[in-house]
Amino acid sequence: MISRLGQVCFLALAAALAAAAVAQTNSAAEAAKKPSAPGALSHDLSGVWMPYPDTDVPPGTGKNAINQATRPPLTPWGQAQLDAARPLLGPRAIPGQENSPSLKCDPDGPPKLLNHPNPFEIVQIPGRVFMFFEEQHIWRTVWADGRPLPKDPDPTYLGYSVSHWDGDTWVVETAGFNDKQWADPYGNPRSEEMHLAERYRRLNHDTLEQQIIIDDPKSYTKPWVSPPKLYKLEPGWEIAEWFCIPDEDKSYDDTVRKPAGVAPASK
Amino acid sequence: MKLRLAILKTKNLIGASVAAMALVFAAGLFAQSVPKGQAAAPAGPTASDTPSGPLSHDLSGVWMQYPDGDVPGVPGMNAVSNRTRPPLTPWGQAKFDAAKPLVGPRAIPGVENNPELRCYPDGPPKLLNLPNPFEIVQIPGRVLMFFELGHTWREIWTDGRPLPKNPDPSYLGYSVGHWEGDTFVVDTIGFNDKLWDDSFGNPRSDQTHLIERYRRLNHDTLELQITIDDPKAYTKPWVSPPKLHKLEPGWEIAEWFCVMDEDNAYDNAVRKPAGVAPAHK
Repeated sequence: MISRLGQVCFLALAAALAAAAVAQTNSAAEAAKKPSAPGALSHDLSGVWMPYPDTDVPPGTGKNAINQATRPPLTPWGQAQLDAARPLLGPRAIPGQENSPSLKCDPDGPPKLLNHPNPFEIVQIPGRVFMFFEEQHIWRTVWADGRPLPKDPDPTYLGYSVSHWDGDTWVVETAGFNDKQWADPYGNPRSEEMHLAERYRRLNHDTLEQQIIIDDPKSYTKPWVSPPKLYKLEPGWEIAEWFCIPDEDKSYDDTVRKPAGVAPASK
Repeated sequence: MKLRLAILKTKNLIGASVAAMALVFAAGLFAQSVPKGQAAAPAGPTASDTPSGPLSHDLSGVWMQYPDGDVPGVPGMNAVSNRTRPPLTPWGQAKFDAAKPLVGPRAIPGVENNPELRCYPDGPPKLLNLPNPFEIVQIPGRVLMFFELGHTWREIWTDGRPLPKNPDPSYLGYSVGHWEGDTFVVDTIGFNDKLWDDSFGNPRSDQTHLIERYRRLNHDTLELQITIDDPKAYTKPWVSPPKLHKLEPGWEIAEWFCVMDEDNAYDNAVRKPAGVAPAHK
């Protein structure tokens, strides 16, 4: 799934998060209760942000920016895609049969990219916002110069993103996705017709709120609206180099995961 | 060969532009009789580009390298010049002998083992040596570089911090930058030895200290000079001559990821039938 070093970091992080889950959840709730005065939230979203943990899908931590509990019914096309998906995680995981695109180091993209227990950084410059994800060292451009979404974009892993401010909410709209990635780690599909909306609010200096709305009529019978999720500012952090390397991934499978009997990757 | 990949894999404005430029390059290669480091008119800069007075410290923009004829048939790949390569050490020679490049005089179709054929991420200095555009963005304390190849980005710290003493080896290394007069000097260490220095199999060890020197000669022209100091691989520092890049104001860096399945499909559909250096998987 990921490089060995990354996996080790991930596991260490997951353990730390799991240990701190109760207290962290409380502090997340506390963080949300302390927004600045309404109508006066900062429009500066710069910084390294780390999701607060949650227990939406046990034992996963920090993976419900896309909430399973609110998923609408699938279309027949969507159901066929989900049935063909063999996730590495969650109740549908079957060790040895996984076919997550991430296992081949295919690039991750939104919204799944926003659904990992890893940090991302936001950098704002005139006309553009950059998002840097530790996962696979991926960067993404969100245009903020008033341009509309392109009419007929080529399908891509990241899609084409534009944004605007709606009061104190930064709204990112993305279209032009390919259907080679999943919408989340659990195999829920993503089609070329997906329109993704992300709504961000900086509730206070240390807290960023993110809400994800997936409008994909080819996969889902109605828009999939997830509840808001909170991120914590991490001022001392730098986004590390974490690439997915197919060779290293296979080596990690052979030396660690298969001997441990934990979900060896299907190559 | 990467250029062919660029042409066929990017289907948008950038891809079309690259394709168009590739045709210009290909035609220009045969017409060129100008000194190395300068491209043939009208694609290249002219004497009027010679800087006069203080140069801008704003390097922002999308930059595309001028074509050259350093390696026949391979346009725009000599930011790391093979003509100035110093003798290899025994370690360097062994690595070089084991490398089976996809392009250049040592290419043997069917046995190539370039790291990028397995979708390894590319890193400096090879990343700076490919006929594809990159973008520079300057923010307080950092310079960001975005490469079309592999959708890679790197950060160069400009907040005065020193190079780390014992960095973990990585594909991109750890980079700091400072200004020396009108020259932006980037120092990078902390590389791993899993990549090559260039497309021709010259090695990169974990002892590499890479120095990049950038000057914005005028509004439209960026000069880049690369020095590789890698005592494990080369018997002395490898100093390449300066290379020029052209500002491309209308371009956006496109999405171009290396995807294993797609790379295989591309080999089977295009490269193998054409008899051109099928990739060894």
